[in-house]
This record gives sequence, C-alpha cells and structure tokens, in this order.
Amino acid sequence: MARIDRAEVERIAELARLELAPDEAERMAAELAAILGYVEQLDELDTDGIEPTFHALPLATPFRDDRAEPPLAPERALANAPDREGFAFVVPKVLDEDES
Amino acid sequence: MRPPEHPTYEVVIGLEVHVHMRTESKLFSPAPVRYGEPPNHAVHPIDLGLPGVLPVLNRKAVELGIRAALATHCDVHHSSVFARKNYFYPDLPKGYQISQYEDPLATGGWIEIEVLPSAAGDDGYATRIGLTRIHIEEDAGKSIHDAVVAGADSSHVDLNRAGVPLLEIVSEPDLRSPAEAGAYLRTLQRLLRYAGVSDADMEKGQFRCDANLSLRRHGEPALGTRTELKNLNSFRFVEEALAAEVARQAGVLDAGGAIQQCTLSYDPDRHTTRVMRVKENADDYRYFPDPDLIALRIDDAQIDAVRRALPELPEAKRARWQAAYELSEYDAGQLAESRALADFFEAVVAALGGGARAAKTTANWIQRDVREALGERGVELDATKLEAGALAGLIALVESGRVTAQSARPLVSELIDHGGDPETLVRERGLEAVSDTGALEAAADAVLAAHPDVVEQVRAGEAKGLNFLMGQIMKRTQGKASPVAAREVLQRRLRGA
Amino acid sequence: MAAETALQLADALAAGRASAGELVETALARAEAARPLGAFVHLRADGARADAAASDARRARGASLGPLDGIPVAIKDLMVHEGEPCTCASRILEGFVAPYPGTAVARLQAAGAVIVGRTNMDEFAMGSSNEHSVYGPARNPWDPARTPGGSSGGSAAAVAAGVVPIAFGSDTGGSIRQPASLCGVVGLKPTYGRVSRYGLVAFASSLDQIGPFARTAADCALALEAVAGHDPADSTSLPEPAPRLRDALCGDVSGLVIGLPREFFAADGVEPAVLEHVREAIAELERAGAKTREVTLPHARYAIATYYLIATAEASSNLARYDGVRFGRRAEARTLGDMYRRTRSEGFGPEVKRRILLGTYVLSAGYYDAYYRKAMKVRTLLRRDYEQALSGCDLIAGPTTPELAFRLGEKTEDPLRMYLSDIYTVSANLAGIPGLSVPCGFSDGLPVGLQLLGRPLDEATLLRVADTYQRRSDWHTRAPDPATWTGADR
Ligand SMILES: [Mg+2]
Ligand SMILES: [Zn+2]
Repeated sequence: MARIDRAEVERIAELARLELAPDEAERMAAELAAILGYVEQLDELDTDGIEPTFHALPLATPFRDDRAEPPLAPERALANAPDREGFAFVVPKVLDEDES
Repeated sequence: MRPPEHPTYEVVIGLEVHVHMRTESKLFSPAPVRYGEPPNHAVHPIDLGLPGVLPVLNRKAVELGIRAALATHCDVHHSSVFARKNYFYPDLPKGYQISQYEDPLATGGWIEIEVLPSAAGDDGYATRIGLTRIHIEEDAGKSIHDAVVAGADSSHVDLNRAGVPLLEIVSEPDLRSPAEAGAYLRTLQRLLRYAGVSDADMEKGQFRCDANLSLRRHGEPALGTRTELKNLNSFRFVEEALAAEVARQAGVLDAGGAIQQCTLSYDPDRHTTRVMRVKENADDYRYFPDPDLIALRIDDAQIDAVRRALPELPEAKRARWQAAYELSEYDAGQLAESRALADFFEAVVAALGGGARAAKTTANWIQRDVREALGERGVELDATKLEAGALAGLIALVESGRVTAQSARPLVSELIDHGGDPETLVRERGLEAVSDTGALEAAADAVLAAHPDVVEQVRAGEAKGLNFLMGQIMKRTQGKASPVAAREVLQRRLRGA
Repeated sequence: MAAETALQLADALAAGRASAGELVETALARAEAARPLGAFVHLRADGARADAAASDARRARGASLGPLDGIPVAIKDLMVHEGEPCTCASRILEGFVAPYPGTAVARLQAAGAVIVGRTNMDEFAMGSSNEHSVYGPARNPWDPARTPGGSSGGSAAAVAAGVVPIAFGSDTGGSIRQPASLCGVVGLKPTYGRVSRYGLVAFASSLDQIGPFARTAADCALALEAVAGHDPADSTSLPEPAPRLRDALCGDVSGLVIGLPREFFAADGVEPAVLEHVREAIAELERAGAKTREVTLPHARYAIATYYLIATAEASSNLARYDGVRFGRRAEARTLGDMYRRTRSEGFGPEVKRRILLGTYVLSAGYYDAYYRKAMKVRTLLRRDYEQALSGCDLIAGPTTPELAFRLGEKTEDPLRMYLSDIYTVSANLAGIPGLSVPCGFSDGLPVGLQLLGRPLDEATLLRVADTYQRRSDWHTRAPDPATWTGADR
C-alpha cells in the first residue's frame, strides 16, 4: 500500500475542497500515515475470490412506482439558502477553473 | 460505399448521447419532471441533497432503459450497480452524481444508419454503428452564468432538472464522417421516440450530444489523440462542429503539429471550435457503489415482458410494408419516419379494408396531398384535426367515382384545418360528380359548337383532340363531370347520334 | 435513587397519577440541573409543552396512542425533526432548519412521544468521546471530568442523569453501545435496516443505524417497537414489520446458549476490572439457566482497520453536500472555488477533516482496490465469522469496551488510540447484526457494560437476556449524584 506525504495530502485536500494550513497539512500527513500503517495489516489476508460485502444483509432491489408527488413549496426549498435571488440559489461566479 | 471524409486522414468519431427518459417523477425522488417552471419549483428534499435524505429507484425508468437497450440490440445485464461519481459543482446537490460505472445496465448493441446521397454526388449507403454501453443516471441541475440574469460576479442555481432520469448511450468510435454522426443521431432519436423511451426534444434538453473526434492517416491502425466536443444542441451544429474540428485537426497535423487532448465548444457564428479546458491529468471521480442503493437485479422474465411490450420499430415496419403492400422503399421510409405518421397510415389503410391496393392509394394521398398541406402549414400531423377515418372516407368517395380526385383534393386542407366528415362536406359543397346525361349532353353540344375545327380533326382520327374536348367539358362542369360518363356522351355526339 | 422508567411513567399516566404536562416540566427542570453535563444542544421547551398538552387532551378523550404517549424523549442532533434545527454538532450546519420529516422522529410522534430536546454528539457522529462537538464536550454524569463516550454521548448522559427515560442515538461503529457502557445505561444497536435511515444524517451509509438508550432493557424494547419496521423511503430498510419485543421479555433464559469469543476475552488491551465484571455477569446468566460455550471470530482483529477504511470512504462522499450552496453556513469568498474551500475548512472540525481526507484518499484513483475493495472483502470474512459463531449459539457475549470512561482530553491527541476503543463494537456494524450493552457493575465508581450480539433481526433474544439479567441485578437502579455536576463545565 502507498505511503502518504504532505504533497499527497494537499492533492487529496483539493479533491475534497479542504484548505489546510501548511502545519495542518504536515500534521494530517503524519496522522494519516499512522492510520494507513495500521490498516496495512489487511495485507496479511488473502482475499482472492472473496466476494465483497456492500450490504450486510441480502435484499431484493427496492423500487418506487413512477408517481409524482407535489414538489416542496419553493419558499421551503429556499428557506435555508445562504444566498438567493428570486427563486434561485446564488453562488459566486463559476469560472472555468471550477468546471468539473 | 462509405466515401472518405478527408483525402489524407480517416475521421474517427464516437458519440455520447444523454436522453431524458419519459417519466412523471424523477429517478430517485417523487418530485415531478417539469420543463419551463420557475427555478426550484419542481424539487423534493432528495433533489436538494438535504442532510438525511435517501434515494429510491423509479421502476418506470428502469423499464424504459431496458426498452432502449432492446431497441438497440444491447445485452441487458442481470445485475447492474449504481455508483457515486464524486465532484463539486453548484448544480450537483449531493457533491456526487448517482450513475452507473463498472456494471452498466446494458452493453454491446448496434443500430443501422442510412446516409442519404450527398450534394457532392456520393450515393447513399447504410452501415451498422456499434453501441458500447447504455447506463442509467440522474441529471444535474442548471447553473445560470449569464450576467444579465445572474449578475457579473455571481451565478444562479436551479435544481428543477436535478434528478431527472437520464440514459447515457455511448457509441463505439465507428462513425467516419459528420454526415454519419448526423444520421446516427437522427436514427437514435427516431428509435427512442418510437419505443416511447423519450420525447428526445433537443430544445428542451431531452436529447444532448457530446462527441469525441480523432484523425489518423488512412491505413494507420492506431487511433489518434481525440478531442471532445461538448453540448452540441442541434443536429446541424453537430455536423458543422465536427466538420470544423476535422478541418482544425487536419490543419494542425498537416503543419506537423500534435493534437492536444482537450474539451472544445462550437461557435456557430464563426463556424469554429473553441478550447474550453485542457485535460492535463485525468479527473479523479472516486467512483464507488452507492451504499444507499441495492444492486439492480433484472431477471429474464422482466426483460421478456419489456420485449413483448415493445412497439414495432421503423425498420421492421418499412420491411413489412414493402413486402406486403409493395410500397416503394422511398414511400415506406417516409411513412415510417415518425410513429404518429406510421400509425396514421396504417389506420387509414385498415379503414379502407386493408390490402396492397388500399395501401398504395393511401400512400399516394399522404405523400402528395397530406404532406404538401402539412408543409404549407409547417405543422406535424398529430397537431392537426385530420382523422384517419376522415381521410379514408374521402379516398373511398373518390375510388367509388362519387367525387373526382380533382374536386376531392382541396378537401384535404379543409379536413386538416377544421376536421369534419368528408361525406357531408361533399354534399354541402355540391361536389358530387355529375353523371346525369342531360347536363352532360348540353355541355358536350356547347363544346362541339365552340370548336368545329377540333371536331374535324377528331373525326379525321386525331385522338389528342378528344382529350382537349374532354377538358373543355370538365371546365364547363367545374370538374364535377364523371370522366367515364362524359367520354361516353362525347363519343356518341361525335358519331352524330 | 434512579428516575422512573418509561414503563413506570406510562402506568402513572394511564392511572391518572401523572400528566404529560408534569412530565415535560420535570424533564425540562432536570435538564436545567444537568446543564453542566452538556448533554443537550437544543431544548424544545415550547414545542414539548404543546405536544404534552395535546397528549393529555388525547388521554382525556380516551384516545391515548399507547404506552409512549406523553413520555419525554430526547433525540441525537443528527435525527431530522421537521421544523427543528439539526446541526450534527457541526458549525457547517449552523442555522439549518429541517424542511421535511425524518421517519424515526415522525414515528415517535405518531406514538405520542414528547420530544424535549436534541442531544450532544461528536461532530457528524465521528468520535468515541463526544469531544469533537462545536458545542463543547458532553460529560459523564458519574464523573464530569470524564467522557460519556461517543458519538452519542449526550443521549447516554441524558438518560444516565435521569433527564429523560428514553433517548435515541445512532451507532456506526459503537456510538450507542460504547456510551451506554460508559454511562451505565442500556443501549441497543438494532440489525442494519431495522430502523429507517430516512432522516438520519449520514456518516457511513452501510453501517449507520438508529437505536434507543434507556435505563432498562424493557424500556429499550418499548422504544425500538415505536421506530422499527419497513420504510419504503429507505432502500436499505428491511421488509420485516416492527416486532412485538415486549412479549419476549419472559425473564427466562434457561436453555439459551451464550457464545464467548476467545478473541474478546484475551487479556491484552482490556482493563482487568472490565473483564472481571463481564465474567461475573455471564456467571449470573448461567445461574439463571443459560449455557455458555467458547466460539471464535478469527478475523475480529481486522475489524478496526476494515471499519475505518469503509466508514471514512463513505463519509468522504456523504459529507460532500456541505458546500455552502443550498443550506448551512457559507464562508464569504469571491470565487466559487474559494467559497467551497473556506466553507468546508471553517465549517468542519479536525476529526471530520481527518476522516474526509482518509476516505478521499482510499477512494482516489489507484488506491480503490488496495483499500476500499479490500476492506469490503474482509468485511465478508467478518460476516462469515459471525454466521459461523452464531450457528453454534443463540447469542454472543463479551465486554462492550476495553476500558472505563477515560478523562476528557486523554486521547484527543492520538486519533488511532481513540479508534481502538471501538475494538469490540465495530464488527457488529460490519456484519449488520444487532448489539446491546447492559450495565454489569461499577469499578472505581465508573460503570462497566456487558455487550450482547445476536443473529440478524433477533433483537428479541438480546433484550430478553438483558432484561433477565436486570431482574437479577440492581446496577441500573443506581443513580449519579447531581451535586458533582455543578460547575463541571467551568
Ligand atoms: Mg459520461
Ligand atoms: Zn452521463
């Protein structure tokens, strides 16, 4: 399994949209390295041919019938908005660098 | 066969199409699917990604997905998995899109496309385009960047579209020209509409296309570096944009340059492609199976049920009509173009008692009179008052000789605009064919008296004079004369009887 | 003398010896007295009084909704209650008011329960000490200098302090059972899928489960009956209807076979006092007619590593929605990118950031198979361990936690050491099976808990055994001394 250093932590932080102070990044790198070191014990186990468990108990695929319910009242949909104009949520201008 | 698009380079195109499935509610929430609503008027807490909400899969969306897969000869998988595609964007409420990744709904299909003869004189041809995969996913909302609406330094977010059920249909890189890309999209759109999967209205964003394009020297086995053209929102733009990108890439390669992998958008005014963003390193979407959802299991019984419910698709209709009705390939193709027109055609034929003769007559009336009238009005058939029964009635009146084709034809427009019963219209307008001998003899005498010279020629055995005299009789009776009766009277008079 | 149980209060209400209005005032007064414990982050005085009045009115009409009608209940601050705040003890949900009803709370209200307030917790349920809370820590009623455990520390403390007879929490890796053990109350984590997660703010979706705290197993049965059962709004909800659990409380365990995992009784890393009390409790159950046999869980030692990979991966994705766009606290910024980064960096505490980073890392390109997929496979091995073990016994018993309530601040500097205190609890979440902690003694005045683990959907057996044990013990009748609380928060 891979090692993790400060540069890697900063790459991950950007993926997660977290901003870390340099010392914070250092500390996180050390803490994550310790935890990843601990989880390396899983390498002891041979799991070839073992099915992964995504859900502990088997279930049939649950479905919803295609019936529309009345939507949320717009005022309630927007009640928690940090910033709004009319019925739209407002965010700082999206620049190309923000494109995903 | 397939003419090379470029003298030096082979053009390699793959298309990624996103279509809105025709459902009442969203893919994972009970919010209604609505278009043209004010922002955030068609959302459920699930679509807002509020803390604590959970998705539940819409059964109808899965059924429509299976329909699309069967209509395109794909294998529907017995187990497929919904995964989270993680990235941040304001119109992506949860910070991830629920999509399918490693285990899609269906893979490995194809559709047959037809490229029409080109203005350049290449003749048309048909070819098969492979489908890589079809998967189900949720749509995102809309970010409005337009400064007029959102202001110079902010954007607006509307989540009405968030969660609308999408099918992503990915083709193999089998397309060799913009024309083929256009034909592929039109065929796919027609198929999806026929199968009732989607209204596929591009204006409403129900049918969206991204394209991958690369060039390689003819005969070169390896694929060239590809670029991606995003949000091409009309068939015309797709073809124009691809042509522009072929020219751009060829220019770069001719100059000894290398193609840089990037995403482009098309500027229809300048007819050029513009780089939106360059991909240095691949995106890291951290896909993983969505723990809020159970794997989608579909057994053969469910697949067969959908297959049985699948309507006859255009290719099959055309083949059947050509065989059973002896329609020309052209007529059959045109009549099968939209499901509404095809169903109308079959209804009229049925009302006339079916059979090749009824079919051919009906085809003529639709291809000639109905199409022309629709063209003049610029409307689709199902937007008019024309009933299959009415057209059948009108055709029957003509066939039985009670109305001449000539006086019946204007009634088609009448029926399109106002509907009604042809029988009554004919009576009210006094359009019944005149076959009462008295009136015809009077008309014939008048004509003979007016054209002694022609009468001479005819008596001398010049047949074409006869047609002229017939035409004159028709004039005098405003086309109401039954041609059979008129000719009889005329010939009797010419014999001097 | 401990406060009344929910069933005792239900009798009093039925007999007209008490009114819901009185019970609410009592709960609010006790909450005030217990304020230094930091158990509550939001008291719902007016709403609770109105609900209690409605309950009394129903009862007067002879239209009581059942034993929970009029009983004061507390809920963890990550359970959505329509029209009420829900902050998950995080700055990032500052000011958020839920515009929709969560299933568990809606079912409690349908049963007439009176929700008096929202309890403290580790931010987004990430922690084992309740120290990672924007409101400050909750404290252990038995010693306010110590942790009540976490992440549902406030709910455990509220019940232990006698403020409410029943409180609800959530358990992702032990967040109900560990605080129950450290606070000397009963805590039950139901089978995964037993209680709807619709309206439970997600930490790790494939592990999270809502469950009750109470002083007695009988009250836990009453509480679980009210919220359990299939919910079509949760795709992972089990189809089974709510079980009639109180019928199972027959006070008889004769013939039951209790499995004792060798790995849970190995001396290393567990305080002797804890093992001593656990062994004594099991001996008491044997005197009551239960049999015991040794079982083995060969992969138990891998549970923590497996758990932290799965839980953080799911959390990193579940917490992406806190972006300052639609709700919650937004940091001012001129560009979208800065808005995201500042909002999330200022809004999340260090433990949440640590887990988001770990989870993002294990899912990121190139590591998915080595970490997440590997962990999902080890999860299969763990599940099989329990299937195997529980095929030879009716339930499994052992310690809930390796140690007694530790001092606040003792482990905050060492995340890994903090994680290890979940050693006995996480595997039940990974296997999806029910788990319960029942008080089984005191050491240096601090409670010790006995953990019972059962077969999927067999909460009944766990409650029956715990109830039988409580009929034969009096640990749950002891109460902490409120005099020790005053000034604890200063
Ligand atoms: Mg895609
Ligand atoms: Zn897509």
